Amino acid sequence: MVPLTSYLALAAILFCIGLYGVLTKRSLVIVLVSVELMLNAVNINLVALSSIGPVANITGQVFSLFTITVAAAEAAVGLAILIALYRNRKTIDSRKQDLLRN
Amino acid sequence: MTGLTGEMIIFFILALIAITCAVIVINAQKMSHMILSMIFTFLAIAGIYFLLRAEFIGIIQIIVYAGAMAILFVFAIMMTEHKVVSFGTEQHQVHKFVSFVGVSALLGVMLYGISTLQIPAQSPQYVGTTKDIGLELYGTYVIAFEAAGILLLVALVGAIVLARKEAD
Repeated sequence: MVPLTSYLALAAILFCIGLYGVLTKRSLVIVLVSVELMLNAVNINLVALSSIGPVANITGQVFSLFTITVAAAEAAVGLAILIALYRNRKTIDSRKQDLLRN
Repeated sequence: MTGLTGEMIIFFILALIAITCAVIVINAQKMSHMILSMIFTFLAIAGIYFLLRAEFIGIIQIIVYAGAMAILFVFAIMMTEHKVVSFGTEQHQVHKFVSFVGVSALLGVMLYGISTLQIPAQSPQYVGTTKDIGLELYGTYVIAFEAAGILLLVALVGAIVLARKEAD
């Protein structure tokens, strides 16, 4: 059996890759994809602990279902905002969205 | 633990695919490559769920992420800038470097915490069936389930209102 720590390490690595993408990428679509990666890392943790954790039960899987639901809603609204933003400002470069700066 | 079992080998292959494709998502030069590697990441994570004997979550992962969300992202890219990923030369190399150092430090701390984790007696693998999920979902978590339904409705209406052309 694969030890629990391997799953937790995989989730941590995926989370950090997503976090790096959120912090550094300029295209807002890639930022949203990176957020989805981070949410997936959380889901791996939930399912792993629900399957081979110290107190394994079904609750982790139910919660990962809720996480997937919220992630889908977040992606839909985020991409709609992105399309509205592109229509108004003709760019999805995150560095150019600086209306509140000056 | 003696040697590599088949499960270990499958786990490492899936983990390698997931991490490699996640790195490609961050570094791809073309949007289409980015979307494709994103789909492969999600499929590899679905494989991880199958390995954990959470088949229902794995199927939901394939349907929602690799199916619906990938199409959503393809449409979003189609309706915005889709020629290039980069927007010219980067003036903020310091920002990138600081982000890299910070994220690496976070990863190091997390991996250290995971490696020194004291797990009390690894229990045998729990196999939750779809029936268990349904009973729990409609029993203990029925209010959260209804709230999730309302959230999806609000997100649907909100997405339509936000993305619709202003008719003035």
